[in-house]
Amino acid sequence: MSNARQRAGLLAPSMAVIGVLLVLPLGLMAFVSTLERGPDGGVIWSRHTLDAYLQFLFERDLLDNLVLNTDYLQIFARSIGLAATTAVLTLAIAFPIALWMAFQPPHRRTLLLFVVTVPFWTNLLVRNYAWILLLRNGGVIDRLLQATGLTHEPLNVLYSPLATGIGLVYSFLPFMILPIYVSLEKLDRRLIEAAFDLGADRWHALIRIILPLSMPGIVGGLILVFVPCLGAFVTPALLGGGKSLMIGSLIQLQFGQSRNWPFGAALAFVLLALILCALLFHALRYRRLAGRLV
Amino acid sequence: MPRVAMSEGDLAQTSSGVAGEGRASPAEGEIAVDCRKLVKRFAGGSVVALDGVSLTIRANEFFTLLGPSGCGKTTLLRLIAGFETQDEGSILVHGQSLDGLPPFRRPVNTVFQSYAVFPHMSVEENIAFGLQMQRRSRAHIASRVKEMLALVRLEGLEKRKPAQLSGGQQQRVALARALATEPRVLLLDEPLSALDQKLRAGMQLELKRLQNEVGITFIFVTHDQHEALTMSDRIAVMNAGKILQLGTPAEIYERPTARFVADFIGDTNLIEARRVGPARFRILSGVEIEADEAGPVGDEVILAVRPERTVLAAPGQGPLAGTIEQIVYEGTDTTYHVRLAPGVRFRVCEQNRGGGSPRFRQGEAVSLALPANAVRVLVE
Repeated sequence: MSNARQRAGLLAPSMAVIGVLLVLPLGLMAFVSTLERGPDGGVIWSRHTLDAYLQFLFERDLLDNLVLNTDYLQIFARSIGLAATTAVLTLAIAFPIALWMAFQPPHRRTLLLFVVTVPFWTNLLVRNYAWILLLRNGGVIDRLLQATGLTHEPLNVLYSPLATGIGLVYSFLPFMILPIYVSLEKLDRRLIEAAFDLGADRWHALIRIILPLSMPGIVGGLILVFVPCLGAFVTPALLGGGKSLMIGSLIQLQFGQSRNWPFGAALAFVLLALILCALLFHALRYRRLAGRLV
Repeated sequence: MPRVAMSEGDLAQTSSGVAGEGRASPAEGEIAVDCRKLVKRFAGGSVVALDGVSLTIRANEFFTLLGPSGCGKTTLLRLIAGFETQDEGSILVHGQSLDGLPPFRRPVNTVFQSYAVFPHMSVEENIAFGLQMQRRSRAHIASRVKEMLALVRLEGLEKRKPAQLSGGQQQRVALARALATEPRVLLLDEPLSALDQKLRAGMQLELKRLQNEVGITFIFVTHDQHEALTMSDRIAVMNAGKILQLGTPAEIYERPTARFVADFIGDTNLIEARRVGPARFRILSGVEIEADEAGPVGDEVILAVRPERTVLAAPGQGPLAGTIEQIVYEGTDTTYHVRLAPGVRFRVCEQNRGGGSPRFRQGEAVSLALPANAVRVLVE
């Protein structure tokens, strides 16, 4: 009894932190999403309506009928597409790097890990501005390419989906490298030797042994990149020029210029629901897989 | 032809020719592995793991590399497998040079100390792996997997994952996987050291049986002298990157040629002595004994005598006088620790044929006799 109370007492601080910093704001937002928007921003606390969620899929025509409106769905689809592409590209770049790192001598591995985390030390905004300087017409890359004669006209990369992609891949690369590196570092080197011993060349050792055994790290990295990518708005705004709207920018817009807090909150919760469903699906699949492994 | 015997009669038959030189006469059969002057250095050359090792292993032989950890035995195995590259020398397997060949092009397979069974594959997938790498047909793979499962007695477990198997079963999977592609030589890197005592004894017999059935060359690395003696056709005793002695188990045990070998294999009494006659030695206390080995008079030598070859008798019956300092009962045997002179002790081992009670008591005066054919002369 006193043991249980002691345990509750010891847990209380962390529970309080989670309660105040996670449950409370989320609850508040969930509540806001069910309210009517105020005339100039904010909400009317006494009026409840699900209009915000309806607005996601429908709009009212002149006769006040609900008509399907796919504008927001398109933004979601575009964002999911961009996030998925980013995640896959990040994986393609991160896996060889992580593989190479994991096979370095231990002291050099520590140094490389440090180098991978260095970008975290500066603000995301600053790093995105740096990419503007690199990518803009007349910027470093543009001038370099023209000077070497590879291109003869301005690059026109900045403020395009390509620039957004480059920025996102760059920003999220460490989130992919680190989990893959961890799973590769744990991998028993004897298994690779055994594969070689049994006649597997490097390619077969990679796809039959190394890749399957580093799957937990790969999946972890994909989640770590895909999920925050969906909600990213700094990079699409700065490097993409805000030309094509992404979920993150859309939500930010509702709380800013559009002054439609309930709709912004509703959008956030639709996104949250989507991500939770995806993670749940993965968790169930993984458990079944793990069940077969053990 | 497996030989596990260690009696004197067998020794007489087999001791012809091969002991001690680090090179066997190839007359007795085809050569499976030929190592020529192998040198391997680590840590930028400061550590010499193999110091000019030459070795010939015959086809279908159960050959053991025996030595303490760090003696170079595993390095030698890894050179043959191709996981490391020698700095000097060359390796031939059935006449084909392996120099420069990556591990996946070598006609040898390895059974690892830690099994190294692929954890994400089932038993049958593990066994099929090497055959798939050789691009064998599905039908061939299926029948070969079945054969291997029967060989290592794992029928019925083909769908299991390694995590669902015991250590001994994983060991069998590793064996089946390595044998499936019909390598000409199987390398075994302390494969039994992770098993408990009971399982280990079973697997020793199992390995012998497997080797008889598949009829290929086994090169077995171990630091366990008992394992080496019971399983091997021939043993190479290694220390500090060199082969000290090479011979049958009986030769290695009964006729060690180096102090290290005598000391490392089994229990041995070592006494300093001076040769006073062609076959006569004065040991410390001024007592003289005979040995069967002739040599130049005046040499300072070490005499090695096995505890079980020493005869313990009542005072005055043997040339060496002493007192019993300690008696250790070991179940099948009793070991008497006999003090001959201050600081000079001798161990005598007797089988407990007459039940539990020892023949002598602690503190009792006794004498020792060392039969001339039991005394090995080691020149330092």
